[in-house]
Amino acid sequence: MAGNCFAAPMSHKAILFGALLLLAFSPLPADERPSLVTVEAWHTFGVDSLEERLFVEAVDRFMADNPDIRVDVVRIPFLQNIQQFINAAQAGEAPDLIRLSATELGKVGHVSVEGFPLLEDLRPHLTPMQKARYLRPALAGMSYGASLYALPASQSCMTLLYNRDVFDAAGYLYPNAEWQTEDFLRAATALTTDDVAGIALPVKWSYWFIPFIAAAGGTLFDADGHPALDSAGTAEAMQWVLDLERTHGVTGATNSIEAMSTRFQTGRAAMVIDGAWNWDRYAESGIPLGQSLLPYDGATGKRMAPMIDYFGWSVAKQSPVKAAAAKLALWLTSRAVQADFALGTYSLPTLVELIDDPTLTGHPVLGGFIEQAGFAMSVPATRASAMLFEQLDTALALTHDGTLTARAALRAADRELAKMLAW
Amino acid sequence: MLAGAALLAPVTQAAALTDEALRLTTDPAQNEYRRIHVEVQHRSGPDTRSYQIWFASQPFDRVADAELHSTLVIGDTEGLNRTAPAFDTQDCWTAGQPVHRTKDDIPVLAPDILEWSCSLSGVMPGVDQWIAVLPVDADGRGLSPLLPIRARTDVPDQRPPPPDTLPITLTLASIVLSAIVLLLYLRRRDILSGRAQTSRAYLYLAPALIGLTALTFYPVAYGVWLAFTDADQSQLGEENWIGLGNFATVLLSPGIVRVTLFTLVWTLVNVTAHVALGLLLAYTLTQPGIRGRTLYRTILLLPWAIPGYISVLAWNGMLQPDGLINAILGTATDFTATPLAARISVILVNIWLGIPFMMMVLSGALQAISTEMFEAAELDGISGWNQFAYLTLPNLKGTLVPVSLLGFIWTFNTFNTIYLMTRGNPYVGFGEPGATDTLVTYVFSVAFDYGRYGVAAAWSVAVFLLLLAFSYLYVKRSGVMEVAR
Repeated sequence: MAGNCFAAPMSHKAILFGALLLLAFSPLPADERPSLVTVEAWHTFGVDSLEERLFVEAVDRFMADNPDIRVDVVRIPFLQNIQQFINAAQAGEAPDLIRLSATELGKVGHVSVEGFPLLEDLRPHLTPMQKARYLRPALAGMSYGASLYALPASQSCMTLLYNRDVFDAAGYLYPNAEWQTEDFLRAATALTTDDVAGIALPVKWSYWFIPFIAAAGGTLFDADGHPALDSAGTAEAMQWVLDLERTHGVTGATNSIEAMSTRFQTGRAAMVIDGAWNWDRYAESGIPLGQSLLPYDGATGKRMAPMIDYFGWSVAKQSPVKAAAAKLALWLTSRAVQADFALGTYSLPTLVELIDDPTLTGHPVLGGFIEQAGFAMSVPATRASAMLFEQLDTALALTHDGTLTARAALRAADRELAKMLAW
Repeated sequence: MLAGAALLAPVTQAAALTDEALRLTTDPAQNEYRRIHVEVQHRSGPDTRSYQIWFASQPFDRVADAELHSTLVIGDTEGLNRTAPAFDTQDCWTAGQPVHRTKDDIPVLAPDILEWSCSLSGVMPGVDQWIAVLPVDADGRGLSPLLPIRARTDVPDQRPPPPDTLPITLTLASIVLSAIVLLLYLRRRDILSGRAQTSRAYLYLAPALIGLTALTFYPVAYGVWLAFTDADQSQLGEENWIGLGNFATVLLSPGIVRVTLFTLVWTLVNVTAHVALGLLLAYTLTQPGIRGRTLYRTILLLPWAIPGYISVLAWNGMLQPDGLINAILGTATDFTATPLAARISVILVNIWLGIPFMMMVLSGALQAISTEMFEAAELDGISGWNQFAYLTLPNLKGTLVPVSLLGFIWTFNTFNTIYLMTRGNPYVGFGEPGATDTLVTYVFSVAFDYGRYGVAAAWSVAVFLLLLAFSYLYVKRSGVMEVAR
């Protein structure tokens, strides 16, 4: 009995030894070959969205063309990407590539771990010819200080959308590029009924307030790019926007973005200021959509300028495979990929060769947004810019409820911003 | 810094004379990560309009086999400046100065320039590259043969050092070691006092205690330590000890009194409503003669069974101007627009969420009370209210007190309801907590919106001390421990 028991383990040992030898000398599987580098890419596209599908297809094409690079795609919730990225970087586990907006760059640009920034300055990774392919404002939008922290992949801005049925029913002419802000207000007033708002607008949200600033001659930044909210024009614009709700009653009760979209989507708003990202949502609801440039102010001669936001691909400073990650970023911002995204999702391109491409400028949806982008306001990717929205929101809220005048609220916002920047 | 002074430095690596007119050399000492430094000597002829720099990862003798790296134009530099835009770097120099640039950022060389250098970006590191400079005429035709030189940059990438985990490892190890020493000490004490049969109990306790100390005490201790440092998002891993500075910031924060008061109102109203309504429903459902009791219980449990965030988001939608509540009321009120309405809304939603738990716990406690007492009370002619006040409630005290205490702590620390419904808004002042912010949601905002980890940790310590003091006083005054004993 004992002898049998002893003999069995011996034969097992021999088998085990043989197996280990085989394993040791067997060729490594493809994924573990030393020459294969793996790039982890974080994106923020919606689950099963067209954006995600196009992105994954682009990554697959990249891997087919670069068999020595494997890309691991990870989806991160849009609102959590910055915090998750900072946490990962703090733990030394940052992804190699991450999709960020210019506004988010402002939030992450000043963050450092052990004295190093979180993102790689991409300037050494590009040749001047590669750099020259991007629109200069897009490169500026993806720069933080002197560093180019992302390659711009797309840009977005809002324009004026309208429901043709509502205009037709009232016998009112559609909005057009010659419209002034007074025409806009007249139409909104004329088209407002018990059920329908002339313009669904969340008046207390800074992102929707910003377009009105430029038209009134106001600014958000001084000549050096520093935030300067307190100006007569900005105060005037604030008063004008809030009066749309308080005095003219043309906005409906749309104090949230979702309420605004739902109202327009359900045919209970004549106009809305919105981006291309919601076009399909409205179109699929059967709304006969029209699109026009935002109006200009007759007194100042300046057109309303929505904020333009850039989205791009950043390489983490911690990445051990920066050259491969930068190569992937170049591909994801290439003409082929940007054109697919533009035509599929109506995101605006950031390449010089695409922005004037007749296929895009003549596109029934994209064309209008590209034209509007020509009048849009770029916000520099700075820490101050990232903090600006909350202060502007607070100023709008306090002016809306009558706690402060517009001018006093903007002055207080500037003071608070200066205080926060001193932290 | 690269400088034109090094233009004629001796060539130390691969270098070649392209022809008598154009001399292209490289100086590896000036290379950087993904950059190769090249130096050019050339007397441009009357037809030369620009220089093109071509490169490839293999030898080439025609431009079709290479990639255009950059172009330098030859022309008048009058009125041009030498500054590159922010998102660009100054890549080329002449006579120790950056070359001039057009408004479109194209480098320009004056016709009389004979020597210039460039730091060529975008080249693959650790790989041989072939680089050629081609003078071209106005029609883009090359004016000399392409004779590329071989060069490479082996300058390594600069990466942050891996995070130093030694302090964390040592702290965790010392915590675990302390737990083991404590257990050994207790075991030895028991043996010495003649309770040898308990010695194995410590072995069984060890895994749970070690896990608890490592996973709970360490984060708490780390949070307390952060409260005394200047830790913030912009300098992770480089925090310095600043004593009580963060606590002073907390005490001087604008809106601290308002947010603390609202947190207390939020907690007291919620817990009171949870207990009162939970008890009412539990009492009603334990009364004899109720038909469909199970169905009622199931329905009443739904708010608890559905994930909290889904319930909150559903309520948020219903409270919108276009939502169900307004549709029923025939109004278009924004229930989260004004501070008072928003506060009432978040409290009501949280009451709705919290009732089922109280109802279930109190149902169990009510069913555990002996029915004989109530039968005796009936015989003595004691009314229903008096039975409730003098029999039911005193018998529930052992459950009510700890459950209320738990409810208080949980509600005080509730985050989801407020964050998902209002994110603490509406705004009521610059740099202040929002109208519906509680201490906990505000701490989140301070930590993750403003990135002030040290100050947020100080807020957390203050909240912890507040809850600790309340719990101690509550337990002491209620005498629940005596009841339990």
